[in-house]
Amino acid sequence: MTANAVLAQAKKENRSVLTEIEAKQILAEAGISCTDTQLAPVKEKAVAIAEEMGYPVVLKISSVDITHKSDAGGVKVNLKSKEEVEKAFDEITTSCKTAYPNAHIEGISVQSMAKPGLEIIMGMIKDANFGPVVMFGLGGVLVEVLKDVSFRIVPIEKADAIEMIDEIKGKKLLEGYRGQPPADVPYLQDMLVKLSNFVHNTPQVKEIDMNPLFAYEDGAVVVDARIILED
Amino acid sequence: MMELFFKPKSVAVIGASTNPKKDGNLILQNIIDSDFSGDIYPINPSADEVLGLKAYPSVKDVPGNVDLAVIIIPAKFCVDAMRACGEKGVKAVIIEAMGFAEVGGEGTKLQEQIVAIAKEKNIRVMGPNCTGIVSRDITTTFFPMKDVPQGNVVLIGQSGLLAAAMSSDLVVNKSLSINKVCSIGNKCDVNENDLLDYFGDDPQTEVISMYLESIADGSKFVPIAKRVAAKKPVIFLKGGRTEAGARAAMSHTGSMASDTKIVEAAIKQTGLIKADDFTEIKDWAKVFSTQPLPKGNRVAIVTAAGSVGVVVSDICAEHGLEMPKLSDVTIERLKDVFPPNMPPSNPVDLWYSIEKLGLVKTLESTLAAPLEDPGIDAAVLILAGMKYTMPVLDDKTVQKITAKYKKPVIICMLVGYNEYKNRIMEELGKDLPVFTSILSGVKALSKLCEYGIRRHKNAS
Repeated sequence: MTANAVLAQAKKENRSVLTEIEAKQILAEAGISCTDTQLAPVKEKAVAIAEEMGYPVVLKISSVDITHKSDAGGVKVNLKSKEEVEKAFDEITTSCKTAYPNAHIEGISVQSMAKPGLEIIMGMIKDANFGPVVMFGLGGVLVEVLKDVSFRIVPIEKADAIEMIDEIKGKKLLEGYRGQPPADVPYLQDMLVKLSNFVHNTPQVKEIDMNPLFAYEDGAVVVDARIILED
Repeated sequence: MMELFFKPKSVAVIGASTNPKKDGNLILQNIIDSDFSGDIYPINPSADEVLGLKAYPSVKDVPGNVDLAVIIIPAKFCVDAMRACGEKGVKAVIIEAMGFAEVGGEGTKLQEQIVAIAKEKNIRVMGPNCTGIVSRDITTTFFPMKDVPQGNVVLIGQSGLLAAAMSSDLVVNKSLSINKVCSIGNKCDVNENDLLDYFGDDPQTEVISMYLESIADGSKFVPIAKRVAAKKPVIFLKGGRTEAGARAAMSHTGSMASDTKIVEAAIKQTGLIKADDFTEIKDWAKVFSTQPLPKGNRVAIVTAAGSVGVVVSDICAEHGLEMPKLSDVTIERLKDVFPPNMPPSNPVDLWYSIEKLGLVKTLESTLAAPLEDPGIDAAVLILAGMKYTMPVLDDKTVQKITAKYKKPVIICMLVGYNEYKNRIMEELGKDLPVFTSILSGVKALSKLCEYGIRRHKNAS
């Protein structure tokens, strides 16, 4: 589905939260690379997708009603075989139905497992006064405890993206730390500009949260994404 | 449209009082005392004449056109006055009365009515709760004000009293080359975006200093501020740097966003120069309006007291300024005024030379040589409030030297006797930026360098 079709579908269903699959489709169309993520309504389909994608894979519950997927037992990672996928599918289904008996579950998403990289978060919020604002930060503890994030008002230019990343206090981590390879900063800058362009041209989007996003020596990929639409 | 506020051909003062203690009288007097040469119409239903000018019961009774109306009557009568302006065809109104949105309740409703009339009748409104404009062409504040300079600095303030009080300080003390002071109060219509846009294109305005408590329309502010800041320095003090508070924390990202962070992002993104205090918006305006923009951040310190060198070095480093070594040519030139066993260096220590030659002769070489050095972009001159400094004031030595080289110089004054310090502040301070601490002076210079480097980079 194209971004417009996804947005139209959500509107038709009177829904302001997009599924992870929908969010990644939209972002991918905007030129932001995301992990390959496909919906499996049934177990057999999950196996077929996993075989096609190649192992290891991640299975995640797909439901707009379940926000904290891990807490509900809705996420299984590093699945290396058909058997592991089948077992994970059953466990996730049982666990989520117990934790959220009233949730509408559309299925389970099968995702290619991204190799570990430097954890980054990017996102967008709308400020009542300034309008859409893009955000950049280093993931994990740095963002949660130290609030080490930077903002710019949409639309941004490349120079703004450069400054945004440069003003992060933990930016040394991007240069490589304790044997870690450095992150592809120019790629991240381009991602921020693409995010800004997308947001600028899509006023019906209210909030975007790409968390985490793995940055590598060469490129970066969005591992989880959440998009909320305007009511 | 904004021209009607700053260059009207006719003005009515609604609430022009015959009582010289009333604001309505003081405003009229200020307009008379300014260079305004158009028609002035006092509006007062119970007087035939105010300050020698024929008065009219209503703005509607004025025989000619009225470009601008200044309203200074109690808030509850302002709605009727606005209606009268609408009927008369007035297109620009300054409402100086208080008691509107700033008091809430009934005041907010009155302000809404004003806005509704303005929209319907296509009137631009400045205020309410403001003091309007201070300029040579026209002054609408109720603080007595004469001989406003025709300078290159525009000051925009949201707070009425502050803008008025600051302009009396700047205009009367002649400490800043003011062109206009605008107090925009509650900003029910005309806001900082209108003024930035207008002064951004105004050739007389070279520096804008702005104090705001709120940003009226952030999404318009960003592109306008960016456009103007690329052409001329805009110094900006934002009041109300509160914590996040009201923001709905729907997602991870939203919960961390605070107004402060977003306003600061806007400041960085647009290239505004962020000030932290009222003194900074006027002191920095002095620096930007009197000093050329440097191309770099390499600073020479010229000081009568060598011992301050260590602290100056620290402060410069903390503010992103470099204190490089002087070139061989400069060192050679300075050798004569240094003791044989002490080679010239940066900071340039003047004491030996002052004792030998006096300060005037000393500065002629020690300030001039570093400014001529191609490796130096700016200089900080540290003076003392001592008798030996006074000949420099009489001779205008510093002014002469700085006029010769196109590099900025700021003066810091540390110690001394009030008698001499006051003279330095009064006399040198008229022409050049003089600071009473190294920290404030170096911070100001760092902003000038930062802006200069950015402009230089964008130009190339």
